[in-house]
Amino acid sequence: MSDDAADVQRVLAGDVDAYAALVDRYYDRCARFAIRMLGNRDDAEDALQATFLRAYRALNRYQERDRFSAWLYRILVNQCRSIAARRAHRERVFVREEALLLNAPDRTVAWSGEDEEFVQRVLNELDPLLREAFLLKYIEEMSYEEMSALTGVGVSALKMRVKRACDRLRERWERIKND
Amino acid sequence: MIDSEQHPYVEWIAREARRPVVTDPAARERVMAAIRAEPAPAAHVPLWRRIVEPRALTLSPAAIGLLAAGLVGIGVLAGGFAMNRDGRMVDQPRVGVAPQLPVSDTVVRFVLVAPQAETVSLVGDFNGWDASKTPMARAASNGVWTVTLPLSVGRHVYSFLVDGKWSVDPNAPLAPDDGFGHANSVKIVRRGSVL
Repeated sequence: MSDDAADVQRVLAGDVDAYAALVDRYYDRCARFAIRMLGNRDDAEDALQATFLRAYRALNRYQERDRFSAWLYRILVNQCRSIAARRAHRERVFVREEALLLNAPDRTVAWSGEDEEFVQRVLNELDPLLREAFLLKYIEEMSYEEMSALTGVGVSALKMRVKRACDRLRERWERIKND
Repeated sequence: MIDSEQHPYVEWIAREARRPVVTDPAARERVMAAIRAEPAPAAHVPLWRRIVEPRALTLSPAAIGLLAAGLVGIGVLAGGFAMNRDGRMVDQPRVGVAPQLPVSDTVVRFVLVAPQAETVSLVGDFNGWDASKTPMARAASNGVWTVTLPLSVGRHVYSFLVDGKWSVDPNAPLAPDDGFGHANSVKIVRRGSVL
């Protein structure tokens, strides 16, 4: 039995502290995905809180034949999607007001070196579905089959999304180079 | 790892994004505080055991009356079947029984007006939400995209992908939020219908 499966059994037997071991094991990795996906730490923390809470409530439905990490990631991806959708309306209003304030929003962000904030801004420019596929493939380093099981999207559609994400990034590079 | 033929800029973005993030230890504490406030998750009982294990049932007099009426009803419906002379079961006309589902002779046409679109495809629970499986064809002149496909009888949830963006069917009811961050449409397919 894996560490994860053993911890799940302990939690189901009434040992709540065993859940802390699972949280410790996966929090940082989940945090990386949530921050890269949602673009800010407040929303990412909300997504993580909701993910671990939902996983706890549904722990009796977790089947040992599945990898715990894959099961947890499925919940995390859904939580990130829900939070992004709830935020979309709020943000549309905000961006419009911000654009008015700044007069002309900067659409082509200048090269600013190896810096997390810059990379995050580049990722934020991608359409959410492309960003999600790109992160699962190249940041979480999953196979297309794993991604498909996790998102419910077909392998060919996921390949298309990853390719499009890479195309967008390449186009961005061409823009920067030519400016 | 990233493909070897990948653009260096894309590779650099991926490498930077793979760096671990620094998280606030207090955030984990907040997760565990919320967990401790929850009731403990019950151990899973398989469905078969829940069905076969004997349990005591307490019924009100009204529930006993309804149960009795239901049993009588089942007897009446069972009476709808009769034996013919060689002992085989014959299906008599029955009242109040749902038609047998599903059937395969049901063809459904999906239509979307999108004059500006370059590609439109249909995704739904019937094709695994795969954007490549059901592309829609555009009429030459009027920007109307259509596709016709056989569907089983029942409820189907679907959406259009218009140039890669999710779009609901403006002529169909919406499905409840699926938690995936976008709305979907619903099509109820009835027996033998060409919709």
